[in-house]
Amino acid sequence: MAAGHEPMRAVAREVTTTPRAAARPAGSGRLLFFLAVLRARPNYALGYGIVTLVVLLAIFAPLVAPFDPVQANPAAYLQPPGWPHLMGTDATGMDILSRVIYAPRIDLTIALAGTLISAVAGSLVGAAVGYYQTVRGLGAFASGFVMRASDVLQAFPVFVFAIAIVAVLGQSLESIIIAVAFVNAPIYLRLMRSQVMSVRRMRYVEAAYIAGTSDREILTRHVIPNAIAPVLAQLSVNIGWAILLTAALSFIGAGVEAPTPEWGSMIAMGFQNIITGHWWPSIFPGLALAVTVFGFALVGSSVEVLADPARRRALAGQMEQRRRATLPVGPAPAGADGGD
Amino acid sequence: MALLAYIGRRLLFVGPQLVGILLVSFFLVKLIPGDPAVLMLGPFATPDALARLRTELGLDGTLIEQFLIYLWNVLQGDLGTSWQTTLPVTIDLAQRFPATLELVTLGLLLALLIGIPLGVAGAFFKRGLLRKAADYYGLLAGALPDFWLALVLIFVFYTMLGIAPAPLGRIDFAILPPEPVTGALLIDSLIAGNWAAFWNAAGHLVLPVVTLGLINAGPILKMTQSTMERMLEADFSRYAEMCGLPRHVVLRKALRNSLPSIVTIVSVLYGFLIGGAVLVEIVFSWGGAGQYAVQGVLNADLNPVLGFVLYSAVLSLVIYLIVDLIYFAIDPRTR
Repeated sequence: MAAGHEPMRAVAREVTTTPRAAARPAGSGRLLFFLAVLRARPNYALGYGIVTLVVLLAIFAPLVAPFDPVQANPAAYLQPPGWPHLMGTDATGMDILSRVIYAPRIDLTIALAGTLISAVAGSLVGAAVGYYQTVRGLGAFASGFVMRASDVLQAFPVFVFAIAIVAVLGQSLESIIIAVAFVNAPIYLRLMRSQVMSVRRMRYVEAAYIAGTSDREILTRHVIPNAIAPVLAQLSVNIGWAILLTAALSFIGAGVEAPTPEWGSMIAMGFQNIITGHWWPSIFPGLALAVTVFGFALVGSSVEVLADPARRRALAGQMEQRRRATLPVGPAPAGADGGD
Repeated sequence: MALLAYIGRRLLFVGPQLVGILLVSFFLVKLIPGDPAVLMLGPFATPDALARLRTELGLDGTLIEQFLIYLWNVLQGDLGTSWQTTLPVTIDLAQRFPATLELVTLGLLLALLIGIPLGVAGAFFKRGLLRKAADYYGLLAGALPDFWLALVLIFVFYTMLGIAPAPLGRIDFAILPPEPVTGALLIDSLIAGNWAAFWNAAGHLVLPVVTLGLINAGPILKMTQSTMERMLEADFSRYAEMCGLPRHVVLRKALRNSLPSIVTIVSVLYGFLIGGAVLVEIVFSWGGAGQYAVQGVLNADLNPVLGFVLYSAVLSLVIYLIVDLIYFAIDPRTR
């Protein structure tokens, strides 16, 4: 079972053994560097664009949506896309565009809350487990127990487990958040544990220990800050998964209940219509869902590069090279940031 | 000999692990509100009848007692009865598990056929259109909800073009299914020599298999590409290139060395899909094992859920064991 985590651990180790301070290109602001990266890598810019747009839509939905998202209109059911219903209406006559615009309010809330809870809880426990596992005594025993428990949790079929949690806690926004958090927590636990176990062996940690620093202070001031980068990279990818999980739960009727606008339940509502040729109630929310998750995946891959000092340096070098190649005369002054 | 000892050591941990998994799922499902006795007898049952049924179902002991009784029955091969189908869970699962396995196995095979060539090509041509396409495909496959993709495929190939069968199960109602031997319709109809059933079942498999294949090719592609890239940059590849070996030989050697991580990702996906294919099963009314478990959770039907969890846990343990044996076969360093 541990075999599946091997590649992740290999990458993780590489991250922490690289010194961090030298990574930033000298003499440039972080923001300028970030903007330059977006210019050099348009697909990252696309990702950030999509995520920003979805977040803005969620916040300003009441201003943007042309109709009330839960207002049924039996007189105008299953209208094809056109005017005034740009994406048509569903079987109860609700405006699909308005519902697609309102949906990220629910989906993003669940995904963000669930992912953040699992990341914080999972990495705190993971850090403690990684720190104490190599020490003898009660700490090691407890760590071993936590790892076996997480083995058992991970042996469960993810989806059935999530449905069972929602069924136990009752169908509500909070229980879906808890289900998402529960299912994702072991990922962070393992990631943080392997990170901490490698950082722990660093000289500066040993030095702090010899200087008499308390365990808690070593963990919070020296170990966790140096082990956190891959966790951050995992976050964005995970938000995408969490959105998919939320939609999937709603699709089978164990998540958000209709008529609350939510992409998964909208796809489920249009399920019967698609067989009779009315494609729009299912296709549009699915597209919105896919584009959103795609955006978070792109942001995730950019964070993966930017949070990894070695890869960030490589990217900065590439950008610098390309900039020099396009400059009309002479070499660029040392330390230029490429953000002009 | 070392191999046998290794397998023995692995099997030693299987028992406690299975009991742990059963314990957690038992209490989790027991916590689901809903009394099977009330659900079975309806809202107008007399308290007497309810009490009798509870005793009959073994619901009147403490939770620990109930769990121990359940465990004892499991050891004797009795997984209890589902009150929804009124059949023993072992019989229900014997029908449904092969359906899921057939679907998932074919889906993963297709995913391998898509993912490995694209991954190898992406690692070989580091710049250019093909690499870009492979990168975007990997991201996109991870972003598409499988249940939605299934609906899109149904819309295009059933509703619009009319070339796919209706998404209503594994075989047409009009066609007599072959005598169950393995439970997998394709194999059974071959055994029976029933070609009509074979082609009909194959037709029903196409859309769900394509759905699973397209989605799961994403992670396989990413894993193949990143491992191949590492292998092509490794010293042995450089050396082979310097010696002037032709490109396809260098590629083949790199691919051979990438096999362990590809096997790993396939085993992870396989374990995940046993329960994770449930959405595709629902869309195509497949009647698979995942669907059975989800129905159980939604209706407080304990035994099907536990039976499913047990079967899939055993299956993933078997898969991981097979994977370890494959490592032995393909990676000389493990010997």
